[in-house]
Amino acid sequence: MKTLHSQLDPVSLEILMNGLRSVADESFVSLMKSAYSTNIKERRDHSTAIMDADGRLIVQADASLPVHLASMKGLMESLLTRFGDDVRDGDLFVANDPYVAGGTHLPDINMAVPVFADGAPVAFMCNIAHHADVGGAVPGSMAGGLTEIYQEGLRIPVIRLFREGVLQEDIMDMILLNVRVPAERCGDYHAQIAACRLGHDRLAAMIAQYGVSAMHEGFDQIVTRTSNRIREEIKRLPDGVYRFEDVMDDDGVGAFDIPIKLTVTVNRGDICFDFTGTAQQVNGNINVTRNATQASVCYTLKALLDPDAPNNQGVLDLPELITQKGTLLDATFPAPVAARANTCQRIIDVILGALAPAMPEAAVGAANGANTTAVFSGVDPHSGEDYVYLETLGGGFGGRSDNDGKDGVQVHITNTSNLPVEAIEMEYPLRVRSYGLIPNSGGAGRYRGGMGLKRVVEPVGHSCSFNGAGERFTHQPWGVFGGHYGATGEFRHVDREGVSRRLPNKPTGVAIHPGEALEIYSPGAGGYGDPAERSLGNLEVDLTSEKFDEAYLAAHYPQFGQSSEKP
Amino acid sequence: MAWFVGVDVGGTFTDFYACRREDGAVRVFKRPSTPRNPGEAIVLGLREMCAALAIDSADITRLCHGTTIATNALIQRRGGKVAMVTTDGFRDLLEIGRQTRPHMYSLQKDHPAPLVPRERRYEVIERIGPGGVIIALDENSLAAAADAVVASEPDACAICCLFSFVDPAHERKIAAALRARRPDMPVSLSSEVWPEFREYERFSTTVLNAYLQPVIGDYIDYLDTEMKAVAPDAPIRIYQSGGGLMSVETARTYPVRTALSGPAAGAVGAVHNARLAKKPDVITLDMGGTSADVALIRNYDPGVSLGGNVAGFPVRLPMVHIHTVGAGGGSIAWFERDGLLKVGPRSAGSDPGPACYGCGGTEPTVTDANLVLGRLSGGGLVGGAMALDEAKARAAITPIATQLGVSAEKAAQGILGIVVANMVRAVRTISVKRGLDPKDYALMPFGGAGPLHAVEVARALGMSDVVVPDTPGILCAQGLIVSDFKEEFVRSGRLALDAANWAAINEVLEDLERDARAWFEGEDVVPDSQSLSVSLDARYVGQNFELPVVLTAANPEELPRPAAIAEVEQAFHAEHEKRYGFHNASEPIEIVNIRITAVGSVERGAAGSEHLPDSTETATPIARRPVWFQDDAPVDTPVYQRADLASGASFIGPAVIDQFDSTTIVFPDDKLTVDDAGNIAISVKSNHLAGRQAA
Repeated sequence: MKTLHSQLDPVSLEILMNGLRSVADESFVSLMKSAYSTNIKERRDHSTAIMDADGRLIVQADASLPVHLASMKGLMESLLTRFGDDVRDGDLFVANDPYVAGGTHLPDINMAVPVFADGAPVAFMCNIAHHADVGGAVPGSMAGGLTEIYQEGLRIPVIRLFREGVLQEDIMDMILLNVRVPAERCGDYHAQIAACRLGHDRLAAMIAQYGVSAMHEGFDQIVTRTSNRIREEIKRLPDGVYRFEDVMDDDGVGAFDIPIKLTVTVNRGDICFDFTGTAQQVNGNINVTRNATQASVCYTLKALLDPDAPNNQGVLDLPELITQKGTLLDATFPAPVAARANTCQRIIDVILGALAPAMPEAAVGAANGANTTAVFSGVDPHSGEDYVYLETLGGGFGGRSDNDGKDGVQVHITNTSNLPVEAIEMEYPLRVRSYGLIPNSGGAGRYRGGMGLKRVVEPVGHSCSFNGAGERFTHQPWGVFGGHYGATGEFRHVDREGVSRRLPNKPTGVAIHPGEALEIYSPGAGGYGDPAERSLGNLEVDLTSEKFDEAYLAAHYPQFGQSSEKP
Repeated sequence: MAWFVGVDVGGTFTDFYACRREDGAVRVFKRPSTPRNPGEAIVLGLREMCAALAIDSADITRLCHGTTIATNALIQRRGGKVAMVTTDGFRDLLEIGRQTRPHMYSLQKDHPAPLVPRERRYEVIERIGPGGVIIALDENSLAAAADAVVASEPDACAICCLFSFVDPAHERKIAAALRARRPDMPVSLSSEVWPEFREYERFSTTVLNAYLQPVIGDYIDYLDTEMKAVAPDAPIRIYQSGGGLMSVETARTYPVRTALSGPAAGAVGAVHNARLAKKPDVITLDMGGTSADVALIRNYDPGVSLGGNVAGFPVRLPMVHIHTVGAGGGSIAWFERDGLLKVGPRSAGSDPGPACYGCGGTEPTVTDANLVLGRLSGGGLVGGAMALDEAKARAAITPIATQLGVSAEKAAQGILGIVVANMVRAVRTISVKRGLDPKDYALMPFGGAGPLHAVEVARALGMSDVVVPDTPGILCAQGLIVSDFKEEFVRSGRLALDAANWAAINEVLEDLERDARAWFEGEDVVPDSQSLSVSLDARYVGQNFELPVVLTAANPEELPRPAAIAEVEQAFHAEHEKRYGFHNASEPIEIVNIRITAVGSVERGAAGSEHLPDSTETATPIARRPVWFQDDAPVDTPVYQRADLASGASFIGPAVIDQFDSTTIVFPDDKLTVDDAGNIAISVKSNHLAGRQAA
């Protein structure tokens, strides 16, 4: 072990890091419990983090989302560039724009509060939350069919919402004037502000306890140790060049089969992800800014190599990343980006596919590869007020080297909860007809892929409007090492007679009238290994659980049929 | 003569605490547990205790019991074979859960598979919505489902319909159909187990209940039968996770309520001792061999929270707010891949145990570190019955010391520093995370290892008060005999807090009060012992997490009623401000749950202190030895016997205080005082953080 020339021994550092994590966790829970947006309070589409004065990520709350990592880092870069030495005690910064403020899409509102000691900022307490609406052309601010960032909502550069402790009410008024259901959004802003303040106070107490220099030392060590730890894991990978490519289904406005190409080079502990050859940015909203691409790369690296490693700048800085400006994965103004999470999922699939030969035990089949998004909006016939109900559905998780992929679960870049059926129906004039797993949707394999989800929703006593974003609705999630493809997803509109028709993958403004319904099918996932190697016992479970029918099993597993004769 | 007996069944020992009604005389007894059938240790132990301590078992008039049967059955997946009946279109809901994965970055970890496999989840055509029935219960589909349930030969059945908390009629009809076919089969209705919104959590709780019904049923049958022979006049009461006792019949119907029975009893034992010590605000630290439970007691109330996680499944029930962390005497020290030293959660347990037990353990544990530092006596644990081998402890710690490049003592200090930090984090979770400052609380350590580390935990949190109860090792059993009967009555829905709903809110309160009064009658709680409290769980319209607005009445027997809407509004704004740092005075408020808690207080017996020496002289140490605290050299330290410390005794540390079931460490310059009730109070000097950082 290296000798440490520092005042913090490994024990003190562990204690310091625990303290910082407690602060981030506490701030996270406070935000969840006091927020108004369904996205935050039930689905936990929010994150909290502590950044240092140089904008480095030091700790994240345990439940923070990987995709939010990018925004926090981006916000800090923009904040320090824009304000530099002009950051004052009591300031509170807010931002969301992907092109001037480091965001990844507009509904994610970022906040940061500096924590001062000895007249200088030592750290920033940050949070990010997905608001139910941020204005723009369509309720929910997530709709497809739009071709410019302007249409997706209010763009906020890095600005001070509080100036030395004083709320800039005119700015707040302007923000709220530009969003739907402003009273609720106001509640969300307050919840975020309060969570920042709570974290600020806890952090200030820690700085007072440890002293500024110990704090800086601790930040350095946390980052360095994490970086070293993961680099050790990279060194275990066989050196080589690994390639993979996949395509996005479509951008919703006319582009189809949009390629993502990757070359990974591993060389004695260095790793480089080169996306050269990936498509140019598209007119639809599936573009990704470079920092979200970086977050996707870092998520995958950590998941494959060291899931328990702390998440901080040490992870972010490790991989070399090559993208070209103006491409799908390094979008430039004014490309729309609302549905970037779908593309992030595909980036992860591509990395997993590329590295599968290098680490067959950690590899998994392609998961549902999407962030299947469904937005219902309308006017509540009882209250006369607008409502927006946004949900993203999980789907299959890929088959694994020693276990089936999980059925009906959020994968990779996101881990948001579903909204309880009882919450949906109490909160919105909607009814859920059914919610369940889709039979035969998990790709065959020695270990099969997970199953997709089906949810059927109808409006009650009014007509509502549906917007959706689906991916892997055309191109199936692939298996690895001989595993088969999982099923694609789809949106279907059901008429009063129960007859359904398939909608486009990224439908906008679909009217659903009373008695009609909307069916959401999320994709399954790919299997792992040759289906012929699947155990008879597992096939028996597939059949008795009614997750797969006889016809499917007979078609995909040559050994099926022997199962019933064996004891 | 009448004796009240509390029995706490732990993993290693079954503890008995008996208290004589007439004079408060106390007898304590320990015997090895019988994990195969935990009831056996209770029955055997009662006989043994009565024989050894000259108690006539016929004089036992109450037996209160804290149990880990349910917890263990869940952890080891030893519950019954369960079927489930649910709303058409929703049989996968139990499996999907909240569609999340348990670890953000792990590609391998999943939430546990549901306790009811898909093929035993049967659907019935019916549908209730927020406003009532949408689709009537279809008799044909009910008959088909009921037949299928019976054909699957389950031990129990869970009945889980959407919105059954609005209207339980469908669930009741399904239950009737099942009972008609299988009268012997226990059924669990989600509308009875926990009638609140959020279907997954409600269903999960109900399935867990059904899963436990066969196990707890058998256990209660055994206890009931055997106890009739041993102590025929002692009705058995079981402790609930949410605090308070229930009858065996209630436990048989709602076994999931015993999921955290044991630790919850510890919290109530702590409350009892807090009262004796006159400390209304206490944080408890119950540290045993593998884990530490922490709980926060405010104004003698060990806060109950709704919901938690048992064996990987969400449970939505009142549970004493206890946070568990893998920090115990057996916790093992190890190096993480980044070179940082970690302690736990893996534990050497009792087999092989810490290296110093000499039973084959070689990995360094917290107990080994305590021994190397002289904080534990080599003479041993459990009153010297179990000798400790310091050489083995030192050998186990040496590799850690070598890797850190420090002495064995320094390494041992590091290990304890980390285990303390882990407990500090747990305490922060139950205090600061809820916006409460630990500085405002006294720390009450118990369990075998709590008093060894309490002072350091307190110091790290800026707490100045440590109170070590009289019998820290059997506090849970003690808690059982001082707990009350308790039951909750709740109505769930969404009612705007406004004039239009004011009458409706009051009507619900009246209904619930009727239920509560009927329950008092059923449990034979006399009027003088009855008390009722009301909680209105409220939130701003648009939020999804509610805060309780608790109402109290001047007279505990009466139902507290809010005088005016404004009163409830003000109380809610204040609570929101306190919890989250802001409130919105102009925002509408809604009530989500109306809850009445009924408590029947039990007779506790006279207060007694016969075990304390009468003298108030300063005690004489039985030995002196070098003990390492936080400095680089040991300090010559006196060792006392707890039994020799009289009320009023007071001195400045350092000191080691040994007793049968625990060891207390007092650091240099901290002040120890024994209070009137026999508690040790330690006044902890404020934080010298410098000690944590290398010079």
